[in-house]
Amino acid sequence: MGRSYFVDEAVGEYLSGLQAAPGSCVTGLLAGQSSPQRDFVVLAVQTPHRESEGQLKAPKGVSPLDDIDVEWVTEHAKQVSRMLPGGLCVLGLFLVTPPELSKDAQNGLKRLIFAVEKYIIKGRLWELSEEDVTDRVTLHICSKTKKLLCKTFDVKDPKSSAKPADWKYQTGISSSWPMLTCSVEVDLQIPVTGSSSDNTDKCMKDGLRRWAKQIEAAYCLINGRQALDDSELISGQKKNPKTTNRQTLPARIFVSDEQSELGERSSALVQVCSGSMRVRGVVHCRAYIHNNKPKARHAAQAIKRDIINTVCSRVEMFLEDLCINEGSQKGLCSGQQALPRRVFAPMPISGLSVCDYMFPDESTADVAERLKEMLDCETPEEDIDTSLENNQLFSIISGFEITDSQDDDSSKHVSEIQAENHKIQKPPKYYAGVALAAAIALLATATSLLYFS
Amino acid sequence: TVCDFIFRLKGILEFACQLDNPNGVQSQSTISKSFQDLRSKVTSKNIVFTVCNSPVLIWPNTGFQSSVESLTEASACGDILQWIESDDGGSKKSSKKKDKKKSGPTVVNMKLLFEVTEPAGNTAPSLIRVSTQQHCVKMPLPLDCALSVTTDERLETVCTGLVEALNKQLADMEEVVLQYRKGSSFLVPQPFHFQLPEPAGLITVVYPAGVPDSQLQAVREDLHRKFELPCDRPYLRRANAFHFPDAAYKDGYLRNPHIHLNPPNIEDAKLYLVQGVYSYHHYMQDHVDDNGWGCAYRSLQTICSWFQQQGYVETAVPTHTQIQQALVDVGDKEPRFVGSRQWIGSIEVQAVLNQLLGVTSKIMFVSQGSELATKGRELANHFQTEGTPVMIGGGVLAHTILGVVWSENTGQIRFLILDPHYTGGEDLQTITDKGWCGWKGPEFWDQNAYYNLCLPQRPKTI
Repeated sequence: MGRSYFVDEAVGEYLSGLQAAPGSCVTGLLAGQSSPQRDFVVLAVQTPHRESEGQLKAPKGVSPLDDIDVEWVTEHAKQVSRMLPGGLCVLGLFLVTPPELSKDAQNGLKRLIFAVEKYIIKGRLWELSEEDVTDRVTLHICSKTKKLLCKTFDVKDPKSSAKPADWKYQTGISSSWPMLTCSVEVDLQIPVTGSSSDNTDKCMKDGLRRWAKQIEAAYCLINGRQALDDSELISGQKKNPKTTNRQTLPARIFVSDEQSELGERSSALVQVCSGSMRVRGVVHCRAYIHNNKPKARHAAQAIKRDIINTVCSRVEMFLEDLCINEGSQKGLCSGQQALPRRVFAPMPISGLSVCDYMFPDESTADVAERLKEMLDCETPEEDIDTSLENNQLFSIISGFEITDSQDDDSSKHVSEIQAENHKIQKPPKYYAGVALAAAIALLATATSLLYFS
Repeated sequence: TVCDFIFRLKGILEFACQLDNPNGVQSQSTISKSFQDLRSKVTSKNIVFTVCNSPVLIWPNTGFQSSVESLTEASACGDILQWIESDDGGSKKSSKKKDKKKSGPTVVNMKLLFEVTEPAGNTAPSLIRVSTQQHCVKMPLPLDCALSVTTDERLETVCTGLVEALNKQLADMEEVVLQYRKGSSFLVPQPFHFQLPEPAGLITVVYPAGVPDSQLQAVREDLHRKFELPCDRPYLRRANAFHFPDAAYKDGYLRNPHIHLNPPNIEDAKLYLVQGVYSYHHYMQDHVDDNGWGCAYRSLQTICSWFQQQGYVETAVPTHTQIQQALVDVGDKEPRFVGSRQWIGSIEVQAVLNQLLGVTSKIMFVSQGSELATKGRELANHFQTEGTPVMIGGGVLAHTILGVVWSENTGQIRFLILDPHYTGGEDLQTITDKGWCGWKGPEFWDQNAYYNLCLPQRPKTI
């Protein structure tokens, strides 16, 4: 008895419309939501072209399957994961091959699906629970016959073999999925021990992990009701499949400072630190839950994971950017910098939303470009909602007010960092751009070192 | 007024601060500022009380909001009971198995939480980095506040009272932290509740973790003066902490089984009972098969448990082996006594109490069992002044006397006996029904045998 994938018609149209150069393969992602009983696919996106690759055809003797850029596929999967709100995730992959390669397609898909899963969960701050579905779908499409072969692999078990699964098209799969929302105040004080940037990253990770555990353990109200048990999320409502009204359910989260690892201490934990980091501000969070009798606690889990993911993602992106621009030799310095803020845009056709993160010096045009590249869809700039999180407006003066640091030296550093911010390039998300950006950054660092020393 | 409810609020608040120089003059004000921030936190709109085992959430600092419509600021605090599920899964009303004898206050447990949603602003996060060498101090503060109230007290008043109690507790904790801090070494301040004689009632004292009671004598003396408590018996040692009625004892021993009994109705007689709390020790406990020989040992264990729970000693109740070793140590027995199954009597009990606990005892000798009926005055006096359990040995048996009902005029007397010969499990029903703890008449004693009684004396200490 295999899994059943209920797939939006629009996804089917997208897949049929894919053009593969003769003899070559097309890879792509499938995204949606899994529940214990069934799975829903609401998005399909082909892997974007890699700019540095000049060749479209595999070199002689190498099968196009072996030529699939696994790294690139996994990087795309990670980027797309960051763009999905809570409840949604990358559920699997599709692969379009010419008929002669169909036989070997399964192996290719298996390799890819495990690589993708491994890469996506790196750095994730929450663990899968026992109830989470660990089956991922692989869809093989023959470019000539358009025949679909749908199978699943259990990514928890590297030795698992492909199991058959159903692939069924339906219209408006997610049109009445309720949307959970909340805005969460974050104020994390993270001590930094050691001075290298590796230390900084590790301290940040540890600090975020502690906070993530608090969120996971937090008490949750959804639409005014406790979201603990197996009670249904939306009870006492007549299900009308014709309604396209999407309910918005506000979520409220209540934390306690209880940390089981601190346990029964009799004295304080004291660390000698070379400094500290503080993440402070408000994040806007969203999660979707399917409407096939969802349980309240699954909805709570979805919104909590979104809260954790959104803070983690933007910190990750910021530190990646920092690493490229400041280099590892500079280590920690003082200052207040804006983390990329979250904006939302409508997902292609399904009516759900996707998100992206905007650095302070970016505009909606940049976001639209990324959405095109990553999600293969055109989004008019006016559809990109930037109002949910306010821009961190701070000049040198207000930056001083926000920072609680009593250290007089930090005021000097704040202005220095501000100046540098404007020189920082757009965060390079594509490997192709890395080398270029790094070169420019090194130049900037060298210049600033000269200026300040 | 009798209090019907105790509202108990518990929660952990993390204390954190960064000290540039732990030994510098600035550090005290940095620490105080952190405590000030915590006090602001508990008076902010974000704090929430959740009532355990119920869907009730209360926002005490927003003019009283609750998650349940029918609970408003006008509600009496007793109304909250209908929302609480009892632990055995039964609905609403507290367990019917509840003993009618024990009509103590109902405990309503609450937990302290902070809302992180519904923020005041909407500004996306920034990362603020500071790179000065600092000592980062983190410490979980185990907040625990309790309020005794009557059933018609308004819920809103209770919640306001709890917020005030949180504030006061944080101030007390700050004092303790500053007083016992050495450089960057901080001791966790721990709250303890004590039920004092009226009018003080239920109070909370904050003690530094890891500092033994023996070093806190001066603190207790101050408090004894403040609350006008007698200076010769402990009220405020950690062992004296109030035991909340709904909390189970983790060690599994029964406490004070005698309170479930009705004293005999004797005309013109008064009741004189053991004071405080003891544990019932008897045959076969702790995987020791002492059936037939260990009765005096068990009575001694009961007495030791009394001294431990009244705060006179911190040592655990001794095992049979430890009791025997103590007798060897004082020269009363040969070394081969340890590990044997030999009986002991009142004299040995007196010796062990002295050796292991530093407690002195009076010995009362009765040449015939029938004479015990005439010892009403002595026993009544003992329970009034010392209030300790009495070990009695004679014939071939040892028992514990927990009290007497005695008439000064008629001389009629009954004895409250705790029998260490019981071999079953800690089943209160059986123990009281079958008289393993029960009231006996003078005929209970072997009329011809002689008896020795060991009457332990309270040390005069706080």
